[in-house]
Amino acid sequence: MQLTSSFKLVFLKQMLRGFLLSDASSNSMSFHERKNAIKLSADAAIAFARGRTRWSQGLITNLSKNEKNKEILKSLLGREYDNLRKPCGNSLKIPRSKKILRRCLRMCSRRKKAGRAQHICKSILAKALAKKRIQVLKKLVPGGESMDGFSLLDETLDYAMSLKAQVDVMRRLLKTSKASLNIK
Amino acid sequence: MEPPRSSGVGIDNSGEYSPEIAETLRFEEEIQSLIHPSSFDGSAAPTGGGSFTALLGLPANQAVELLHDSGAREPLASRIRVGGHPVHRPFHLPLDCSSAFPSNATLVDRAARFSVFAAEGSPASSSGRLKAEPQDSDSPPLDPIPTGPAKRKDTGRSKCDVRLSLSFKSQAKATAKKSKNAEENTDGDKLPYVHVRARRGQATDNHSLAERARREKINVRMKLLQELVPGCSKITGTALVLDEIINHVQTLQRQVEFLSMRLAAVNPRIDFSSLDSYLSAECGPVTVRNGPGGVVVDPSLWPTDATAEATRRLLVPQFWHIDLVPPQLQPQQSLTTWERDGAAHSQLLPNPTTSLFLYDPANSGNANVPHLTAKLKTAEDRALNL
Repeated sequence: MQLTSSFKLVFLKQMLRGFLLSDASSNSMSFHERKNAIKLSADAAIAFARGRTRWSQGLITNLSKNEKNKEILKSLLGREYDNLRKPCGNSLKIPRSKKILRRCLRMCSRRKKAGRAQHICKSILAKALAKKRIQVLKKLVPGGESMDGFSLLDETLDYAMSLKAQVDVMRRLLKTSKASLNIK
Repeated sequence: MEPPRSSGVGIDNSGEYSPEIAETLRFEEEIQSLIHPSSFDGSAAPTGGGSFTALLGLPANQAVELLHDSGAREPLASRIRVGGHPVHRPFHLPLDCSSAFPSNATLVDRAARFSVFAAEGSPASSSGRLKAEPQDSDSPPLDPIPTGPAKRKDTGRSKCDVRLSLSFKSQAKATAKKSKNAEENTDGDKLPYVHVRARRGQATDNHSLAERARREKINVRMKLLQELVPGCSKITGTALVLDEIINHVQTLQRQVEFLSMRLAAVNPRIDFSSLDSYLSAECGPVTVRNGPGGVVVDPSLWPTDATAEATRRLLVPQFWHIDLVPPQLQPQQSLTTWERDGAAHSQLLPNPTTSLFLYDPANSGNANVPHLTAKLKTAEDRALNL
C-alpha cells in the first residue's frame, strides 16, 4: 500500500540526518550509545515519514520522554515535531469509559451465563484469550494503550508495514556501507 | 414443526416492523411447501416475492449503494461488508432450487432459524446479500458477492441454491463460532435505517446489536492483518491470529534493534560528514526539480573532501553528471523524478543493487529508466574497478 520507494527514500533521508545530528558516526561514543542514537534516528525517521498516525505520535512521545533525545528530535523533525507530539487529552478519557463498559459487559455475560448453553461459555473463553493478546499488542504498538480495539488493529497493520519498510531500508544501508568499506 | 417457532421469533423481534412479519409468514409458507412438495402452491412464492420486492426494494438499493460509497478499505473488506450488510429480508426460496435444497430435517430446522439468507437472483435482495460469515471457511461463497449490486437487475435465481446449500452446511458445522457470526449486520453508522432480524434466542436490544457490529468490524480488520502477516491466512480463530501478529511485530522490532546494532558497529568508519551539505540543505532537491537549469546547480553541492570515502562519492558525481546530459532532452516530469531520486542517492549508495532498487521503482513509469540505469551500472562498474 504505502510501501512505495518514495516513502522509503524519505525515511532514509531523515534517518541519515538523524545520524548526523546525533553524531552517531563519531568515535567519541561507546558502542551502546551509538546504537541507541541510531535507533533513535531510525524511529524518528520512520514516524516522520509515515506522517500523522496514532502510533507515530505515540512513538515520538515515548522517545521524547528522554530529555537528551528531545533536542535531537526537535531539530530533526523541525515543524513536524509539534504535530507528532501526541496530545495527552485522549489517554485519560478512554480508560475511564472502558471501566464502565467492562462492568456492564461483565454483568451481561453473567446474566447470560446463568441460563445459557455451553457455547456461550466458549465464547467468553475466546474473548478472554483474545483480550489477553490484545493487552500484549497494546504494549507492543507505541501509543497503543489509549486505543480501542478497532483502531488498535488498524494501527497494528500500519505499524507492521512501516516496520517492514524500516527493516528493509536499514538492511540495505548496512549492506551498502559494508560493501563500500570492502571496496576501499 | 419449526415454522411456528420462527414466526414467534419474527414477532418477538420485529414487532415494530410489520412488513417483516408478513415476510416471515411467507417464508414459512415456502419452507413448508418445500418440505411437502405435494402441497406446493406454485403461485404463492412469486407473488410473495413480488410484493416484498416492492416493499423493500428501495431501501435495500439505497443501503447497498451507501455501503459501497463509504468505500471499504480493501475489496476483501467490502466483500465482507456487503455480505454482512443488513440482510433483512427473509430467505426467499426460489421455486426451482428445491432439488438442491437439503431435505434433511435438521438443516431445514436451521434454515428456519436463519434470519437472513442470500437470495442471489431475486430482484429485491439481489444486492448480493449473504449470511454474513466472516470466517474463512465461507470465503468461497462470498466471492461472487462484490458483483451483487450489479446483479440487482437480474431475475434469475439459479445461483442461490448453491449458496443455500453451502450456507446450510456451514451453519451445521460452525457451532462454536456462532456467537461470532453476525448474520445480520448493524452497520448503522452509514445507513439511515436498518432492519435487523435477530437470530433465534438472541435479543435485539442495543447491547447485542452494538456487540454484533463490533464483532463485524473486528473481523474485517483481522482479515486484513491476516493478509499482511505471512502464513496467517490459514489460521482460524482470533486468538491464534493475534498470536501470529504479535509474533510478527515482535520479530520486526527485534530486527530493527539488531540492525541498528550492526550499523553501530560499522558506523564509525563511515564518514557521513560529506553528506552534510546535501542533507542539511533541504532545498537541494528542490533546485534540481526546478528544471534543466537545476542540473547544473547540483554538482556544485557535491563534496570535495579528500577522505577515502568521499573520493568514491566523487566518482559518483562524475558519472551522474554524464548521465544527466541526455535527460535534458526528455520531458520535464521524468527528469524531475529521476533527478530527485538520483540526488537523494547517487552520493550515498553507489552500491549497484541498492541504487537500482531506488531508481527503478521510483521511476517505473518512465521509459527512460532502463537506459539510465544501464548507464549508471556501467559507470559504477568503472568506479568499482578503480
